[in-house]
Amino acid sequence: MRYAQRGYLLLLNGMALLAAIMLVWLMVAVVLSVVIRNLGLQPSAWFFLSTEYAMFYLTLLGAPWLVRQKGHVHIELLTSVLPPAALNILSRGVSLLCVVVCGVLAWKGLDLVLLNIERTDYDVRAFFVPKWILTIVFPISFSLMAIEFGRFVVGHEILHSGEAGIKE
Amino acid sequence: MEWYFALAFLLSLILIFMAIGTPIALAFLAANVIGAWHFMGGQTGILQMLNNGFGALSSFNLVPIPLFLLMGELFFRTGLGMKMFNAIDQLMGKVPGRLSYVTVVGGTAFSTLSGSSMGSTALMGSLLVPEMERRGYKKKMAIGPILGTGGLAIIIPPSALAVLLATLAKVDIGALLIAGILPGLTLAGFYIATIFIQTKLDPQAAPNYELEPVPLSAKLKLIVTDILPMLSVMVIIVTLMLIGFATPSEAAAFGALGVIILAFIFRCMTWEAFNLSVTGALKVTLMAYLIVFGSATFSQLLGFSGASGGLIGWATSFDLSPILMLLAMFAVLLVLGTFMEQISIMMLTVPIFFPLAQALGFDLVWFGIVVLLALEISFSTPPLGLLLFVMKGVAPAGTTMREIYSAAIPYILCSMLLVAVLIVFPSLATWLPSMLQ
Amino acid sequence: DQINAVHAFPPSLIYTQSFLEFVDKVNERGEGVVQINVRGGPEVIGLSEQPDAVRNGVVDMAYTAASFYAGTVPERDAMVASNTNAIYARENGGIDLLNEIHQEKMGTYYLGWFDSGVSYNFYTIDGPSVDGEGNLNVSGLRLRSNPVYDAFFQDYLGAQPISLPTTDVYAALERGVVNATGWTQIGLKDLNWDRFLNYRVDPAFFSTDMGVIVNLDKWNQLSEESQQILQEVAIEHERDSAEQLAELAKEQQAQLEADGMQVITLEGEAAQRFSDAARDATWERMRGQMERHPMGLEHYDTLIEKFNDL
Ligand code: NA
Ligand code: NA
Repeated sequence: MRYAQRGYLLLLNGMALLAAIMLVWLMVAVVLSVVIRNLGLQPSAWFFLSTEYAMFYLTLLGAPWLVRQKGHVHIELLTSVLPPAALNILSRGVSLLCVVVCGVLAWKGLDLVLLNIERTDYDVRAFFVPKWILTIVFPISFSLMAIEFGRFVVGHEILHSGEAGIKE
Repeated sequence: MEWYFALAFLLSLILIFMAIGTPIALAFLAANVIGAWHFMGGQTGILQMLNNGFGALSSFNLVPIPLFLLMGELFFRTGLGMKMFNAIDQLMGKVPGRLSYVTVVGGTAFSTLSGSSMGSTALMGSLLVPEMERRGYKKKMAIGPILGTGGLAIIIPPSALAVLLATLAKVDIGALLIAGILPGLTLAGFYIATIFIQTKLDPQAAPNYELEPVPLSAKLKLIVTDILPMLSVMVIIVTLMLIGFATPSEAAAFGALGVIILAFIFRCMTWEAFNLSVTGALKVTLMAYLIVFGSATFSQLLGFSGASGGLIGWATSFDLSPILMLLAMFAVLLVLGTFMEQISIMMLTVPIFFPLAQALGFDLVWFGIVVLLALEISFSTPPLGLLLFVMKGVAPAGTTMREIYSAAIPYILCSMLLVAVLIVFPSLATWLPSMLQ
Repeated sequence: DQINAVHAFPPSLIYTQSFLEFVDKVNERGEGVVQINVRGGPEVIGLSEQPDAVRNGVVDMAYTAASFYAGTVPERDAMVASNTNAIYARENGGIDLLNEIHQEKMGTYYLGWFDSGVSYNFYTIDGPSVDGEGNLNVSGLRLRSNPVYDAFFQDYLGAQPISLPTTDVYAALERGVVNATGWTQIGLKDLNWDRFLNYRVDPAFFSTDMGVIVNLDKWNQLSEESQQILQEVAIEHERDSAEQLAELAKEQQAQLEADGMQVITLEGEAAQRFSDAARDATWERMRGQMERHPMGLEHYDTLIEKFNDL
C-alpha cells in the first residue's frame, strides 16, 4: 500500500514536472525557430507544432497536481458565509460533483482514445500525428483529477477554506 | 427547445455550479457534460466536447500567455522588479499613489507590444500586485489599474483580435488598428484621473511615507542601473517586432529570455528563483487554461443549442432608433461576453451586427472600436470575466474575488464613459484613420 | 426530413456564402420534404472537429475542406491536385468513386464537391527572380506555411515554409516576417493582404477541395425523395458554383492587377516543371498516406485519371 501511494505521488508530480518542462520548452522552441529563420535557414515545422501540442498536454498533465495544490479558483460567495458544519457538507458535496464530472470525462476520454485507435485517426496539421497520442492524456488526467477531488470528499481536509481567497 | 429555454438552461447550470463554490473550470466542465449530453446527442456529445476542448487548447494563440507569465515571474523572483520599483519610488518623490500611475503608464506601454489581454494582465499582475501590497498600497490601487490596462491590449495596436474583427466584418484592417490608438490613450487618461480621484477620496489607499530627498546624481545613477536595463528589454522586444524579426505572439518568448539574460548580467539568477518562476507561471497557466478548455466548449454549446443566436436575433428584431439599437447590440455583447470566449462572440455577432450598423448609418470603423470596447469590458466584468480569474491566480494569497470585483468596477466605468464619449464625438476614433489615408 | 448542418468558415468568406446558397436552393425545392437547418460555423463546432462531428452523428451535414480529414480520406488529394473541376469529375464518375471511398473509410456520404476549380497562386512582397532556366528562384523567399501546399514547396523548392497562426499573418506580412504566401485566386482582398503583396506568380496550381459530407446513417434514413432532391441540387450547385467562381476569380484577379499587382509568369518548360511539381508532390503525398490504410492503393490510378484532364 505504501509503495502504491508513493508510486501514485511520483506519477502526479512527474506529470506536473513534465508540464513545467513543456512550459520552458515553449520559450526555447519559439526563440530557436525565430532565430533560425532570421539566420536565413529553415526551422523545422516541428518547433511550431510542438508548441501547439505542448499547450494541450501541459494543461491536462498539470491539472491533477493543481487540484492537490487547491489552485483551481472558485467564487467564495456561499463558502465564506456558511457555518463550519454546513461548509463541511457543502464542500464535500462540491468535491463529489467534481469527482463525478472528472469520472465521466475519464470514461468518455478512454472511449475517445479507443475510437481514435480503431479508426486510425490522425491530427492533420503540418504533419500527420496519430490522434490517440494526444487524446490519451484525457483518461489519465481526468482519472487522477477524480482521485484528487475524491481526497477532498472523504479525506481529513476539505476543498474550501471557508475564508475568502486561496491559502497557499 | 426554444432559444430562451436553452439560454436559461445553460446559464443557470453554470451560475448554480459557480455559486456553490465549484472550481470555475469544473463548473464549466460540469455544465458542458450536461449540455453536451442534452444538445449533442448523449454520449457522442461528450466525445465531441473533448474533441472541441483539444481544438481550443492546441492553438498557438495561447502560447504568449505562459511566456508573459514566465517573464513577469522571473522579473519578480530574481529581485530585478524590486530594484526597479525602488528606483521609481525614489524618483517620483512624494506623488501620492505613484506606483498606481506607473502601473497605468507601464500597462499602456506593455499593451502596445502585446495583443493579448490575458497575457498583459498576467504579467502586470504577477509583477506589480505583490510588490505594491508590500509597500502598503490597498489592493484596489494595484488590481484596478492592471485590469484596466490589460484590456487596452486589444484596443491599442498590434491586436490580433482587431485584425480578426476587421477580417470578419470586411472593414479596412489598417484603419481599425489605427482608429484604436486615440481611444486607447484617452482610456489610459481616464484611468489616471481615476487614480487621482481615488487617492483624494481615500488618502489611506496609497502609502504616504516620507522619502529622503534624493540628489540628482543619485537619481541619474538609479535610472541607469535600475530602470534602463528593464526598459531596454522592452525596447528591444518592440524593435524586434517592428523590424519583422518576430511576430507579436513570438515576442513574448524574447521577453522571457531577455529577463533571464538580464538576471545573469546582474548576478541575481539563482536556481531557486528559476524554479519558483516556472512553478508560479505554471500554476496560473494551468488554472486559466483549464477554464479556457471549459469555456470554449461552453461557448460552442451556447451557439450549437441556438441560445446565443436566438438572443442576437431577438435583440436586433426591434425597430428602434439608431442610438437604442447601438445600446441593444452593446448589451448583447456584454451579456455574451460574460459567458463566452471573444473569438466565438465575434463570429456569432459580426454577420448580424455589421450589416445592421451599416443600415443604421454608422461608420463601420467607429462601430468596430465600440465592439472591441464591449469585448474588452466583458472580459473583466464580474462575476465571470476571465481576466478577473487570471488576476486571482497571480494576486497574493488571501486576495478575495470580492476585492478583485470591486477594484475592477471603477475601471469598467471608465470604459463605459469612453463609449459615451465615442458616441458624442465619433471623430475620436475616425479622425486618425482619415488623416492617414 | 430535417438535416442539421455546420460550415467550416465564417459567413464573411465567399465559400460559406456559396454553401448557404445551396442550402436555400434545397430548402426551396424540398419544401415539405427535406429542410437543412444551418446551426452555424466554426463558433459552433471548431473547424477541425467538424468532420468527426458528422462522422459521430452530432450533426448530420458539414460543408468543409476535405483537407481537414485528410488523415481519414487521403484520397482528397485527387481533388487538390486536380487540373479540372467538379463538372468534369462528376461526369466521368470520379466523385461517385470518392463518395464510395468516403462511405467505406469514414461512414459519410460525399454529396458534392463545391466551389471547385478555383486554384492557388503564390503571392510575394518583393519581385521574385527566375534562374537561367526560367525556374522560380527561392532564395530570400520566406513562405507562410499551409498544409495544402507545403509538400509542393518543400519538394520543388527545397524550402521549409514558416508556420504562423492565422491571426498573425497580417502582422507578419506587414513587417516582412514572411514575404510570400499561397492563396486561392479569390478572397485576397477580403483579408487585406493585397496591401502588402505586390507580385503574383503564374501559373496557378491546385484546386480547392470544399465539399459537403453527410452522416451515412442519416443519409440512409432519409426518404428516397429527400435523397433525390439533395443529390440533384448538389450536382446543380457543383456546376453553378464552379462556373460562378471561375468568373469571380477572373474579376478579382483583374481588379488586383488594376490596383498594381504585377504578374510574374513562368514560361514554357519552367511553367510545366512548376505545375508538374505541384501535382507530383501532392500525388506522392496521397500515395504515401493511402498505403497506410487497409484499402491501400486500390483506387489510386483511377482517381488520378478521373480527376484530371490529361
Ligand atoms: Na496591443
Ligand atoms: Na477597462
